This record gives sequence, structure tokens and C-alpha cells, in this order.
Amino acid sequence: MAASKLPAAAFTLKQFLQRQKVIGLYRNMLRTIRDVPDDADRQYLRDWARGEFKRNKNATSQDAIRMMITQANMHLEELKKSLALAKS
Amino acid sequence: MRRCPFLFARHCGRGRFPRDMAARALAQCVRSLARPSARLHPGAAVVGPAGSSWRRFAALSCGQRTRPAERARVQVRPPLAPPSRRYGDLPPLTLQSIGDRVMYVLKLYDKISPEKLQTSSHFMKDLGLDSLDQVEIIMAMEDEFGFEIPDAEAERLMTPHDIVQYIANKKDVYE
Repeated sequence: MAASKLPAAAFTLKQFLQRQKVIGLYRNMLRTIRDVPDDADRQYLRDWARGEFKRNKNATSQDAIRMMITQANMHLEELKKSLALAKS
Repeated sequence: MRRCPFLFARHCGRGRFPRDMAARALAQCVRSLARPSARLHPGAAVVGPAGSSWRRFAALSCGQRTRPAERARVQVRPPLAPPSRRYGDLPPLTLQSIGDRVMYVLKLYDKISPEKLQTSSHFMKDLGLDSLDQVEIIMAMEDEFGFEIPDAEAERLMTPHDIVQYIANKKDVYE
């Protein structure tokens, strides 16, 4: 059997990389949110991040996804900055 | 030339008691400024004929030698609490206890129905979760066991059994 092991609907390399990026971003986001001191805020932010990612999980256009990644990175930076400020 | 206490405070701001340290340095600086008979450091020739106020300030705050008495007073500080370390008395991990904790965390996760959960069930194929849920599960495991799982390895943990094996390896738990 020399058939390809890939399923029919396999990702292209670009799509795969983008997927890794999104997942990594989600992980970073959750890691950052974990440092939020207040319990209610943490839960709220976690739900927010989860909601945003789930809301767009059916997006397929690569450009749209790229823009969303950029936006999420901006949100992440902002969150990190506010956390650093709150700690100092 | 003696280092300016302000600079000192800024450099050491990340020390053990940054705020305390900064406050002390600030107080010292202000005290030395307030003294009318402030001696200038011999090398502090910056106060020119113009004698602009900020230059004098700089010379005062940076070139000032603290009097011995004052230095002694500054150095008397309340004794720091000795660094204490409290060891948690946890029962040793076994494969059984790791498995129980993993299953417990998974049962608490709202998207998994506890009836369908088996140690061998694949998160995506059997339980119908997506990759984001899997990330959340791994983060929950990190919270539960108190250590970080690197991204590359987190992606490969797809069944409760994988997670138990991984944690057992990391914590040196063998049968």
C-alpha cells in the first residue's frame, strides 16, 4: 500500500503553520491571564479569550486569520502591559 | 565621586525591598540637601560662576559625602526576616494518584461528559473537543500539578493516558 497517509482534507504547510500560531497565541493568552490577581476578573478574561477564539474558529481566509492574529497579539501586549503596571 | 543615591535607588529597584530602599535613599538625599552647611566634594567643580540651580542640585546630591554619624544612622535598619522555606508534606505521587487527579480535573471540565470519559479516549476523536479545548485541558493540568508543560509536548498529549505518562515521567514516578 503506497497510498498517502495524509487524509484528504489535510492542511497545506501555510495553514498548518498558521494553526500552530493561533494555538500558541491562545496558550500565551491563557498563561498571561493566569497572572491576573482577581478571581472574578480572571474568570471573565478567560471566558472572553475563549469566546473570541471560538467565535472565529470557522474562519478560513488566510488573510482574515492573519489580521486576527495581529489583533490578538495587540490585545495580548496590552494585557501584559496592564498587568506589569498593576504589579509595580 | 560618590554615586547619587537616586541612581543607586534606581539600579537597585529590583532588589528585595525596592520601595523601602528607594524611600531610604530619597530620605537620605533630602536630608543632605536640607543641611545648610553642605560641604561640597572637592572634585565637584561643576558649580560654575553662573551657579544655575539645577547644577548646584546635582553637585549637592551627587558629590555629597555623608557624615559618618549619619551614615551609621542610615545603616541601622530593622533586621530582615530570615528567609524561611516551608516544605510541603505531600504524599508521594504514584501512577494511581496521578491518574485519579487527571481524571478528576477532566471531569470538572465542562465540555467533557463524564460518562464518555475513558483513560484511553482521544480528546478530539472520541470526546469531540477541538484544539483550543485541548490547550485548555493542558493548562488545567499545569495548574493542578504545578509545573509548566512546554508547547511542543503539550500538543502531543491527546488522551488522559498520555497525560498521566508524561507527568509520571517528569516527576520521576515509576511503577
